[in-house]
Amino acid sequence: MYLSLKNISKIFPPRGGVSEVTAVNEVSLEIERGELVTLLGPSGCGKTTTLRMIAGFEFPTTGQIILDGVEINEQPPHKREMSMVFQSYAIFPHLNVNENIAYGLNVRHLPRPEITERVNRVLDLVHLDGYGDRAPNQLSGGQQQRVALARALVMEPKVLLMDEPLSNLDAKLREEMRTEIRRIQKTLNITSVYVTHDQIEAMTLSDKIVVMNEGIIEQIGTPTEIYQYPKSRFVAGFIGRANFIGGKVLNQNHNQMTAEIFGQVITLSGLQNTFSPGQRITLIVRPEMIDIYKSGGGFPGIIRRAVYLGNVIEYEVEIGGELVTAAETDPTKMVLYPEGETVTVNFSETTIQVLPANG
Amino acid sequence: MAKSETMVNIPTSRFTGLLRRYREFSLIARDPVLFMSLLFSGIFITVFVVVPLFRTISGGFFNAEGAFDLTYFGRYFDDYFGPGMRRAFFDTMTMGLLAATGGSLVGFIFAYALVRCRIPGQKVIHWLALLPTVSPPFALSLAMILLFGRNGVITRRVLGITYVQGMNDIYGMDGLVIVQTITFFSVSYLILRAMLERLNPAMEEAAASLGASRFHIFFTITLPLLIPGIAGSFLLLFVESLADLGNPLFIAGNRTVLSAQIFLAVIGEYDYQKASALSLVLIIPTLVIFLVQRYYVNRRAYISVTGKPSGSQVVEKSPVIRWGFNIVAYLICGFIIMLYATIIYGSFSSAWGVDFTPTLRHWQMTVTRGVEAILDTTFLSALATPFAAILGMVVAWLVVRKNFSGKEVLDFTSNLGGAVPGTILGIGFVMTFNKPSIALAIGVYGLLALFFAQVVGKNARERLIILALATAAGVGLAQVPSITIYTVIGLLYFVLAGILAGTKQGRTRVIIAAVIGIYVMSNNWAGAITAPIATLSRSMERGFWSNAIFQLSDHIKVLIQPPPSLLAIALVFAGILLTLGIRHRGLRVGSGVIALLIPCTLSFMEVPFSLVGGAYIILAAYMVRSLPASVRAGVASLQQIDPSIEEASNILGADAQYTFRKVTLPLILPALLSGLIFSFTRHMTSLSAIIFLVSARWRIVAASILSEWEQGGVSIASAYSTVIIILVLAAIGILSLVTNRVFRGRGGVDLSIGL
Ligand SMILES: Nc1ncnc2c1ncn2[C@@H]1O[C@H](COP(=O)(O)OP(=O)(O)OP(=O)(O)O)[C@@H](O)[C@H]1O
Ligand SMILES: [Mg+2]
Repeated sequence: MYLSLKNISKIFPPRGGVSEVTAVNEVSLEIERGELVTLLGPSGCGKTTTLRMIAGFEFPTTGQIILDGVEINEQPPHKREMSMVFQSYAIFPHLNVNENIAYGLNVRHLPRPEITERVNRVLDLVHLDGYGDRAPNQLSGGQQQRVALARALVMEPKVLLMDEPLSNLDAKLREEMRTEIRRIQKTLNITSVYVTHDQIEAMTLSDKIVVMNEGIIEQIGTPTEIYQYPKSRFVAGFIGRANFIGGKVLNQNHNQMTAEIFGQVITLSGLQNTFSPGQRITLIVRPEMIDIYKSGGGFPGIIRRAVYLGNVIEYEVEIGGELVTAAETDPTKMVLYPEGETVTVNFSETTIQVLPANG
Repeated sequence: MAKSETMVNIPTSRFTGLLRRYREFSLIARDPVLFMSLLFSGIFITVFVVVPLFRTISGGFFNAEGAFDLTYFGRYFDDYFGPGMRRAFFDTMTMGLLAATGGSLVGFIFAYALVRCRIPGQKVIHWLALLPTVSPPFALSLAMILLFGRNGVITRRVLGITYVQGMNDIYGMDGLVIVQTITFFSVSYLILRAMLERLNPAMEEAAASLGASRFHIFFTITLPLLIPGIAGSFLLLFVESLADLGNPLFIAGNRTVLSAQIFLAVIGEYDYQKASALSLVLIIPTLVIFLVQRYYVNRRAYISVTGKPSGSQVVEKSPVIRWGFNIVAYLICGFIIMLYATIIYGSFSSAWGVDFTPTLRHWQMTVTRGVEAILDTTFLSALATPFAAILGMVVAWLVVRKNFSGKEVLDFTSNLGGAVPGTILGIGFVMTFNKPSIALAIGVYGLLALFFAQVVGKNARERLIILALATAAGVGLAQVPSITIYTVIGLLYFVLAGILAGTKQGRTRVIIAAVIGIYVMSNNWAGAITAPIATLSRSMERGFWSNAIFQLSDHIKVLIQPPPSLLAIALVFAGILLTLGIRHRGLRVGSGVIALLIPCTLSFMEVPFSLVGGAYIILAAYMVRSLPASVRAGVASLQQIDPSIEEASNILGADAQYTFRKVTLPLILPALLSGLIFSFTRHMTSLSAIIFLVSARWRIVAASILSEWEQGGVSIASAYSTVIIILVLAAIGILSLVTNRVFRGRGGVDLSIGL
């Protein structure tokens, strides 16, 4: 492993009437060379704090940070050879674009020609050639963002840290920069940690997503794993949308299970956990896993709400007294059931995740 | 996944709290620049603020023999001294209340006229309103006396009033309050002006659109919103008035106030116990108000007025009100101009009150006999200025950017020295640095040595060796009475330079060591350097130039002969720069010992910290007085800089020192320059804090003004005042020019920032 966090916690001591805050709680994380890992989670869940501990701006209360086999807990930020792109960009306002990018190289006392060459190369990489002499206040938000990125990249850092670098941009630019960052990261093969609370950003960028909540890691996995096999209700609810349907185990045979939901027996396959018969469970059903038919076998339901969104039709269906969200994405079936219509509902059973009821 | 499964209970006992403190300490130690700034500001503030104030406060309780004694507090309650003491106390409070009311009122009139009444000549009025802040302490009293005194131009010449004892003169509470009102209203003007500008006009417009009358709006909306500002300015003025020494000495007549009582206890009776006891009486209301200001008013002010100055301003519509304010403001401006014109003309008139024909006689006296005081004041003020401003920035940086235990204390104490009445600080200085206790030297050296060992040594053994060897050798060396000690020390630096050069530790270190060596050695050559200058001055015809050149030799001596205990502090830090990060173990320990041994010797030479009578105690007093303003200027500007800008520099490989130089400093430069201007002004015009510190060798213009006045030399006193005003204005002009050059118009210097 290139970068590992071992049981990292951060407790901010009480100060000024605010009691102690456990911002990060026993976080362990492994990052391989060249990987881009995203820390994803709601506001205040400790993403920034984790990132800042990796950078060295915060000192972990417990745990170890290991970079390339060496514990770096006690190393100050300037010795870590990492780079960081800040949410506010933190461009030096008194330096122009060239000077901003060359700053770190100057700190290292590299020879002038090399600095110029590297600055120009990275300007090229972020599509900012010709902007070198601009003052920061003469740049648009997107350009400033690229300067911040260039300034970090030019150092050829061991680890590139990014704290919500796109949150100040408008939606279109964000999409553009997202692909751009991924392209550059892949080209240069830079180990990166990326903080965001935007799940789409995380899905499109990452090799690996770390979902955090209230200071702990809920799940680590590839975007597909996280989406298809959420390990907790929180993850399922945070990444995409999900229905949580309560049920009871009847019988389990390896990864096959029969369970009772809405008073009917249903067979589930591809299970990852084992349950005992009689145990209460929660089924995680994504809206697009739900098929609605006029009639036939399945759960009887009543359409309570129907919204036509163009590429999708969204329904709220009442099954056994509970409201379930369904999304019809198959264009061949684009028939709009009116509200109040009785229908039958089917789940694509192979892709349903099962968790213990309190999970 | 249940949360309770993953949540590991982290123990939070007292022990882990302590452990965390220690971790924090060793973390800070790993960042030498942070540690150095922390330690340096901590030591400076402890030695020059906390200890002296403590000495003053406790001094009232102990008599000359050191026994516990409440005599002077008892006097407030006995029948013999009681009535007089109590009257002085009530007079002091009356003075404070009246001056604060008057000053706030005048400040409000100016603020309202400038912000809301479109007073013609805005710029000029603004500068006139700030003029009293740059005048020497007695100037306005002097002018008042020249105008309205027993021989006053207006009272006697114009109105033909003859003086009747105790009836109709300017001396007394009335004159004092008028003078203080004019002297202190500038602060109130700036506070209220800022508040008025930030008031959101929408609120008043909304009220108007609801049909409220103008008076109704003023009393229900505008005034309540201004209350925090008015309260703040009132309290500030109250404190300033209580602390004022110059005006009461001149114009209080047969009334006495606390500050003057304290002054007389020291100067007239040499009774420091009495002075301390009175100081305690004076410091209590001051401290209470300081605390209220800090923790209540400032917070309130923040809540009720938010945001930047709004672009559009409400303009007073009623011409009666508008011109009412404008005319009053003009009249006061006229009065101010008259006061200053009087001072200037006073310095040229043959014999004020009798013969007004202009003459240069007083000026001739001033620039010959007085040149010593003028040059000393200017030199010391200027020398203290960069140190005060830089220290202010460092403290501001620590307070705004860094998290450490005791930050609140640093913030508080750094402000304290400027907030307490100067007399109290001055007394504390004399009591602390006249016959200083050796504990002070031990404490300071101990802290520095521990810090040095912690930073330079790599493990406990190395640290112990450095500490033990250096301290033993240093203390031993300090016992050897030798006039050539500085030469020895200088040679030690050359040895160090030699070692560093021999082992290839980098050219910078070698040069630094050699330069320090030469500097330290020159201490022994000071006589040789300055003697020719002194001889030259004696060979010249007595007059301005001979005196000025003679002073020059004194000033050079100040630069190359700092008191050993202060030099030691600087050399500890220099020693760290020289020995930090040397790879080879023996070399590291060896040069560490040498670099610490020297400051140790200096720390315990002669009588450590006996500074009274010298120049450095005046420098320190100046710095303490102007520190709060620089800190505030620095805090204000740092708070506007995104902290991640510094972090960006840090993670790009720059350490704290590089970051400060290349990023922070350029960004706070405007604030730094304002701090410089303000500090210089404050130094040049300060009286109460340094009046007890002047000596035959180091004279201060303010003291000269006082003594001239006591001898009836009002014209010379006027000339001195004029000189101070001119020097301060010149300094402001030059610095503003420089900043306008540097910043080419973007973000100039804000003079009001320090107030
Ligand atoms: N210096 C600090 N002192 C005390 N508490 C802090 C400090 N910094 C962060 N916290 C607390 O730690 C928790 C985690 O904060 P953090 O900034 O890491 O969240 P985040 O996941 O980055 O949130 P966001 O998405 O809003 O940026 C929060 O509850 C926050 O209030
Ligand atoms: Mg964050």
